[in-house]
Amino acid sequence: MTITDLVAPEAIIPALKVISKKQALQELAARASALTGQNERSIFEVLLQREKLGTTAVGYGVAIPHGKLPKLEKLFGLFARLERPIDFEAMDGQPVDLVFLLLAPEGAGADHLKALARIARLLRDQDVAKKLRASRDAQAIYSVLALPPATAA
Amino acid sequence: MAGIMSSLLALRFGAPLLLVFLVVGMIAGDSGPGGLQFNDVGTTYLVGSVALALILFDGGLRTRFQTIRTVLAPSIVLATLGVLLTALITAPVAKYALDLNWTEALLAGAVVASTDAAAVFLLVHAQGLRLRPRVGATLEVESGTNDPFAVFLTLMLVELISIGESSALHVGLEFLRQAILGAIIGFVGGRLVVLALNRVALPQGLHAPFVATAALVIFGTAQISHGSGFLAVYLAGIIIGNRPTRAHNSVVAFLDAATWLAQIVMFVLLGLLVSPQRLFDSMGPALLVALVLMLVARPVAVFLCLAPFRFNWRERLFIAWVGLRGAVAIFLASIPMLVGLSKAYLYFDVAFVVVITSLLLQGWTLAAAARRLHVALPRSDRGPRRVELDLPGQLEQQLVGYAVRPKSLYLRRGLLPSWSKPTLVIRDERILSPAEAEPVAAGDYVYLLAPPEKAEALDRFFVDMPPSSAPDPHLLGDFVVSGEITLGDIAAIYGVSIDPAQSALTLADYFDLHLDRAPKEGATVPLDSIVLVARSIGGGRVNVVGLRLPEDEEDAPPPTRIASFKSKLRETWASLIGI
Repeated sequence: MTITDLVAPEAIIPALKVISKKQALQELAARASALTGQNERSIFEVLLQREKLGTTAVGYGVAIPHGKLPKLEKLFGLFARLERPIDFEAMDGQPVDLVFLLLAPEGAGADHLKALARIARLLRDQDVAKKLRASRDAQAIYSVLALPPATAA
Repeated sequence: MAGIMSSLLALRFGAPLLLVFLVVGMIAGDSGPGGLQFNDVGTTYLVGSVALALILFDGGLRTRFQTIRTVLAPSIVLATLGVLLTALITAPVAKYALDLNWTEALLAGAVVASTDAAAVFLLVHAQGLRLRPRVGATLEVESGTNDPFAVFLTLMLVELISIGESSALHVGLEFLRQAILGAIIGFVGGRLVVLALNRVALPQGLHAPFVATAALVIFGTAQISHGSGFLAVYLAGIIIGNRPTRAHNSVVAFLDAATWLAQIVMFVLLGLLVSPQRLFDSMGPALLVALVLMLVARPVAVFLCLAPFRFNWRERLFIAWVGLRGAVAIFLASIPMLVGLSKAYLYFDVAFVVVITSLLLQGWTLAAAARRLHVALPRSDRGPRRVELDLPGQLEQQLVGYAVRPKSLYLRRGLLPSWSKPTLVIRDERILSPAEAEPVAAGDYVYLLAPPEKAEALDRFFVDMPPSSAPDPHLLGDFVVSGEITLGDIAAIYGVSIDPAQSALTLADYFDLHLDRAPKEGATVPLDSIVLVARSIGGGRVNVVGLRLPEDEEDAPPPTRIASFKSKLRETWASLIGI
């Protein structure tokens, strides 16, 4: 499983304009809704619910909001680079500008966890993050995400 | 160095300080050089009630609801059944040692059965001891709630002896009435005080006396309506202490002083009442009762009562040992005197000896026992000194001040959470705005606006951090969640399987249950296929938990299993050589 199994090329937003965490989640929910046909409101609720337990910002300017959506057919990923970094209540205090949204169907279990771990580890890689920040368009971002994970580590 | 000095000070002034006042009372009394004639039991009872009410109220005020929530059940069992068991086990010894009949022996047992809230609060706090939260909270809640029960038991027995017949039904009904009325009055009273504090504009400085007086009014109201006044004030204290109120800090400081005063007054009065010559006669049997109480009755009661709850044996042993007796026992012993029972002085002398033995023996060994049994938290866990100032006019924000330390996260990385706002900086006795003070240097004092309930979370930005060893992010977990969320929350989102009975357990409690000792940063506990990592510790509890998700495919699970097995081995070994 690679990251591009989770994100379709059209699920990449190269420059999302938001000013707050809440607005970011709303925007992401709207895009995800358009691409999956799921209810926008319930996606937003699921994401918000997860944020209540603790921020999904993982540090180094990266956030990975996620949640389970019962009616979803398969894992769904959406990547957004924010035009301006926003406060995501991260543990390290750094504002976030790379956001990966992952929605999982009810029974995804282990696959869900593996996908999350894979995404977290990829985006924590400073080289990958740097390349993503330098990419201006969806195509470029997609090709960075499609790179095989650094096998040396 | 500071730690050593403070523990020295605490050792000198913990339990023994109370004894000093007792001796002062004895010296001033009729058999000492003071020659003061004092045998007014009525006054003692009155003053004792007021003092005890204040002490319990103060205890409630300091109790965080968050910590007691998890220990409510064990504490209440200890406070009711535990007291009864202790009294029952002590009674036979009292019967034969002191030559009493069964009811009288039971009364002697009841008088000394309850642990003393004031002594527990005072000794545990005064020694600068920080206990594992579950143990500390259990002890505190137990000692706060068992006083009302012991008072009730004593009154019942006194009534039984002085009047005669009574039925079990009557006793049971009376107990229910006392408990329910006390609880209702305490709850309503506490709410009213909160309302009054926040609505009525009182002149600065009057808040604290107002709250103290209100506590006494609640106590009196409950007593007059035949409810348990002691239960009522304790509950009211908990309610007031856990709601946002104006002038919270000054109220706590005032009651702290009032509690000390109440303790001192109580001990001096008791010193005045006791007469050493008479005491000498009953010394032997009384000592026997004290020893049986400490070494047999209390441990048996504790182990029986805690059997259904999750505590490890070291925690049980510690709770059994810290059955500190104090002024309450002597106060209870003055009740038979008040009524004029025939052997009234005997209860008093027994209580007196028990209290002194307990304060000396248990009070002095408390800190050592806590460390020996691994229930004390390391001192380094203590946060930086935080100054909190109320801002009149609103409740949402307060001013929090810190000294900027050279190695703090704030100074090194300039990090602050988004909900706090630096407001002023004090440097070389000059007050600067944050803009003027730029850049902030070590040795400055920073004052920030922050919501009171989050103030503690600021601590970590101002502690001296050990030189960063660039922690492997993988080891810290992929995501973070609050320690206060439940296993059920985790299971719902991540689909891990958990014991359904544990779904309401918070992650912080889960750590408490699965680690043998106080959690350290980086401690891990497996939960199905994910691993929980303690990311940040505050007040001995895990505040922030890292979730380490399972690795891909097959390469990962074996190492984690071996690692957890290894850490289990290490812990077992450590606990073996630890005793």
